[in-house]
Amino acid sequence: MTTETQPTESGDIAAIEGVTPEQLRAQLLDGLPSKTQRKRAKQVLVNDPDSPPEIGANSRTIPGIITQRGCTYAGCRGVVIGPIHDILHITHGPVGCGYYSWMTRRNLARPKPGETNFMQYCMTTDMQEDHIVFGGEKRLAEAIREAYRIFKPKAISVYATCPVGLIGDDIHAVCRQAKEELGINVFGFSCEGYKGVSQSAGHHIANNGVFKHMVGLDDTPVEAPYKINIFGEYNIGGDAWEIDTLLQKCGIKVLATLSGDVSYDQITQCHQADLNVVMCHRSINYMAEMMEKKFGIPWFKVNFLGAQSTAKSLRKIAQFFGDKVLIDRVEEVIAAEMAAVRPVQEEIKAKHQGKKAALFVGGSRAHHYQDLFADIGITTVSAGYEFAHRDDYEGRDVLPNIKIDADSRNIEELDVEQDPVRFRPRISPEAKAKLVEAGFTFSDYQGMMREMKKRALVIDDISHHELETLIKTWKPDIIGSGIKDKFIIEKMGVPCKQLHSYDYGGPYAAFTGAINFYKEIDRMLSTKVWSFVVPPWKN
Amino acid sequence: MLNSTTATISERNALVVNPAKTCQPIGAMYAALGLHSCMPHSHGSQGCCAYHRSQLTRHFKEPVAATTSSFTEGASVFGGLANLQQALVNIFGIYNPDIVAVHTTCLSEVIGDDIPTIIKKSREEGKIPEGKVVIHANTPSFVGSNVTGFANMCTAFVTYLAEKSGAEATPTNVFPGWLDPSDMREIKRLAAELGAPITLCPDTSDVLDLPQTGIYEMYPKGGTTLAQLKGLGDSPRTIALGKFTAHPAAEALEKKCGVPFDALDAPIGLTNTDLFIDALRQAAGVEVPASIEAERGRLLDAMSDIGQYFHNVPVAIFGDPDTVIAVTRYALELGMVPKYVFTGATGKAFENRVHELLDGPCPAAIVKAQADLLELHERIKGDPVKLIIGNTHGKHIARAEDIPLVRVGFPILDRVGHRLFPTVGYRGAMRLLEKFSDALLDHHDRTCAEEWFELVQ
Amino acid sequence: MRKIAIYGKGGIGKSTTTQNTVAGLVEMGRKVMVVGCDPKADSTRLLLGGLAQKSVLDTLREEGEDVELEDIRSEGFCKSLCVESGGPEPGVGCAGRGIITSINMLEQLGAYEESVGLDYVFYDVLGDVVCGGFAMPIREGKAEEIYIVCSGEMMAMYAANNICKGIVKFAKTGAVRLGGLICNSRKVDRERELIEELASRLGTQMIHFVPRDNDVQRAEINRKTVIEWNPEVPQANEYRTLAKAIEGNTKKVIPTPLEIEELESLLMEYGLFS
Repeated sequence: MTTETQPTESGDIAAIEGVTPEQLRAQLLDGLPSKTQRKRAKQVLVNDPDSPPEIGANSRTIPGIITQRGCTYAGCRGVVIGPIHDILHITHGPVGCGYYSWMTRRNLARPKPGETNFMQYCMTTDMQEDHIVFGGEKRLAEAIREAYRIFKPKAISVYATCPVGLIGDDIHAVCRQAKEELGINVFGFSCEGYKGVSQSAGHHIANNGVFKHMVGLDDTPVEAPYKINIFGEYNIGGDAWEIDTLLQKCGIKVLATLSGDVSYDQITQCHQADLNVVMCHRSINYMAEMMEKKFGIPWFKVNFLGAQSTAKSLRKIAQFFGDKVLIDRVEEVIAAEMAAVRPVQEEIKAKHQGKKAALFVGGSRAHHYQDLFADIGITTVSAGYEFAHRDDYEGRDVLPNIKIDADSRNIEELDVEQDPVRFRPRISPEAKAKLVEAGFTFSDYQGMMREMKKRALVIDDISHHELETLIKTWKPDIIGSGIKDKFIIEKMGVPCKQLHSYDYGGPYAAFTGAINFYKEIDRMLSTKVWSFVVPPWKN
Repeated sequence: MLNSTTATISERNALVVNPAKTCQPIGAMYAALGLHSCMPHSHGSQGCCAYHRSQLTRHFKEPVAATTSSFTEGASVFGGLANLQQALVNIFGIYNPDIVAVHTTCLSEVIGDDIPTIIKKSREEGKIPEGKVVIHANTPSFVGSNVTGFANMCTAFVTYLAEKSGAEATPTNVFPGWLDPSDMREIKRLAAELGAPITLCPDTSDVLDLPQTGIYEMYPKGGTTLAQLKGLGDSPRTIALGKFTAHPAAEALEKKCGVPFDALDAPIGLTNTDLFIDALRQAAGVEVPASIEAERGRLLDAMSDIGQYFHNVPVAIFGDPDTVIAVTRYALELGMVPKYVFTGATGKAFENRVHELLDGPCPAAIVKAQADLLELHERIKGDPVKLIIGNTHGKHIARAEDIPLVRVGFPILDRVGHRLFPTVGYRGAMRLLEKFSDALLDHHDRTCAEEWFELVQ
Repeated sequence: MRKIAIYGKGGIGKSTTTQNTVAGLVEMGRKVMVVGCDPKADSTRLLLGGLAQKSVLDTLREEGEDVELEDIRSEGFCKSLCVESGGPEPGVGCAGRGIITSINMLEQLGAYEESVGLDYVFYDVLGDVVCGGFAMPIREGKAEEIYIVCSGEMMAMYAANNICKGIVKFAKTGAVRLGGLICNSRKVDRERELIEELASRLGTQMIHFVPRDNDVQRAEINRKTVIEWNPEVPQANEYRTLAKAIEGNTKKVIPTPLEIEELESLLMEYGLFS
């Protein structure tokens, strides 16, 4: 890979391979049918970190464009609720939706002794034509009964697919009846695939359901000095375990990780936390907001991907609790961990300093992974999310200005009120004011663009055509993306790291994970494979 | 591992647990990838397309391009006309394929979108450029299974494109059904070795088993061409390999253009390959060369050399019906005893065909269509087998029960061999024979008492 | 084979008109199949002498894939062939999808094949073209001739106009055409003139004016079409005339639906709003 035109360490991205960001943007848009071009022009922007331009994020996917995006069902059942390992997940619909969400997302689970693990089971009502015509409610009710009889779960969660919404099966009524009949918690999600414009709508629907049907059900006291929940962490490749171990070393107890290797009981008790920290802002900010309103639990954004970011996040948590013992303990842990990180980081940084990455993935990973790449001197020259909203790009301060369109309006906004008994501000107004005065931020997310280079190219919901043009023009050394793009990119001779599944590697979170990541990127950038592409007789 | 499964066969009428099938559209998408310069298009929510592309990519580890109508709630109420038309404009404008092969989803089927009308209208309005082809297949997810979708799309190739022009055409049509690219390649090799010209339809070799060249091509050189598709109707004969995934298109071609066909099973194992070679020999009017007989002989030799390890070994076979039917026959040839033969697909035809094979030699076998892997596991727990043959979804049962699994069929998400080596033909049978015996002997070596751990076997 | 669909506002008398007309055709020796596309499954009971016919969808639900044509098609008056699509009970499932499923099933089973020797197939469709499923009978290759049953009542005319909009959509790409309006009289003032005028504005014709006659009810109580119940009464001749008019009809058009204002002014003109 050529890396002759390197972006400078601190300055703008001027030109790469002789092509300026503005020129590349024009190339990406060139040749698109005019209506498509107008729409994409709002989603492909040259960055300005000081004043991020408005991006056309969370807008409809253009039909006929090869998109990365999935559907609402995938966001709800697949992402947010799927990782709860000891409840049954029943997909109400034809077989496909349940089938495809069966262990294909890498949210690992390691239940504690005595806990059940249903993750290896895929349950579906496998609707046939007669259920579509005559209605599927009876079949769903029967399926819930059968599932209970066989598996005796603590709770059952039901997901609606496209045809269920069209024919009007009332899954919530079926769930209410089942709850009464079986005496366990049974709840449904109207997460039909056609709702919203991407997975994102499914996250919101899932947040609402978890909040309504699980959070706060169990007040059995959980005792620990520093209790937090981690939100928006899905334990891909064991990330949550690394974070948990790290926090334990500091003396901080994680009540629940939403949602990665998490049990039903953990979720029903997690309203007792002192603090919620948010990894993936896009998928779970709703929950953080609702829990603050109802129970008084403050939240802020963290990032455990990247050694620097992990240290920063730990310090912020310690600062929140404000306890000297904890603050010192955190510094000790960071020092010890960094001692292991630094030599690996320095060795690998020396080899790859100045290389270029491009990240097109998810609703937070395209941002978070920039920190890991930065640790080893690799600059992210272009990035974009698959399904994020404007606030994830431009920062939460744009929230009041986001126009609610028809596709978002049909997603329920819960009306949350302060719990008359259990609301308890976790931090006194005085202490909070003091922290804020010292520069501490609550309910914060600055967004991706403020932390990217000036004139980096930001591409929302990147399409196949744009990706191909970008690779040919800017020749990034490595790309972070997903399964559907991976082999397109690698056919072009560029290594691609899947940031949904980690290519079955990981963990990459926390300090220990960072070491794994540096080594993995080193392997990918050093592999001999690409050098064999041209056979010797053609040299 | 699967700790909630017990040896009791759970009574179920409505709940499917760990399905042994998936829905139609993925089959249609896979079939369409076997046409040259074809963009598969999924008419429904974008999630379907994303799921199918992901799953196909995981199986082939190759780029899988496909587009979607990206329905929103509005489209679901007002119909998908505008979405499909916009999609066609973008597909031809940006990706420029020769053919767009549209398949429906449960969503567009329930609202009743009329695809032929939309195609016609789009053509009249100039949204489909001159010389470009748009075809469609109805693939409602709530009917049949992934194999139905494959068959429906293959049937659409015939009904839309095959012509009887009266031209003298020599190639024999071979409809391979749902096989891997490596298998399609092997079928073409066998035909070339025989000296029999064939048109393979569809043909995913050189589409989904591409060499690493540093260059990405959206439409690589492989795939059945439009000219070949048109020519299907002039061929003297079709050989269709698989009741569920190949015969329907052959029937459609017979009906449309009067081309007779041989209805065979997939050419997996000795006899099934023999039948294929013999049919092709007759259709093309050629002699079987010594080289193929030698291949056959080498397979047979290996079968006799290693047959003792297969004798009376109880096996469970599951997966897509055409694969399972063919593998069952081969297992019998090797001396194994198929004990559970399961598919998730619908169809009495499956049970009838497997019973034909098993009623004589293995009357106690449990043969089931529309079955799922929970039931397979429950039965294995109650009465175990020594080998499981099926797709990757068998790996949890295999681990839970400590039974070796040989991966055959679709999907294989965790191994690479199927992308490189065929399962069909004599060579494919040799490969399976090696895998079966390795699996059994490795398991024996790992679990036997030390005094029975032997150097030579 | 002539492929005909009868549409019209709910309760207008589509099923009665269809069956009586079909009775006229079969009496003339034509081979006719009637496909009822209404979840109530009551489109063929007069032809079948009140026999409750098992619907396609019910059969499909019970028999799975082993459905034979004989399971879902019964012979009625004068060898007419009767099929009921059937469908869900009110408020559940998807009746539109049910129609798609049924017609696909009939095609698969060869109900339309030449060997059957059909001269006519009639689809009796519930209400309006409300969704893709209810348009199934007018899609390409299915029904090619539409007759709309209406009366001089305002809502019936609104519905007729709406149905014309549906026909226009499918006529652009397919062979479907409007054959005419059948006025099933409600004894509204100047009804004949009104419907004739509506027909001409729509670019079509009123193919027959069926007067209101209690003999229709009498026949229905006896679970028969008028022609079977009492071939001599005048009303039987009305249906015979209608059958002949359809048989001889060559005027098949793409309709020109009216704007709502135009439709309302038409009603004013004929005194309905006065």
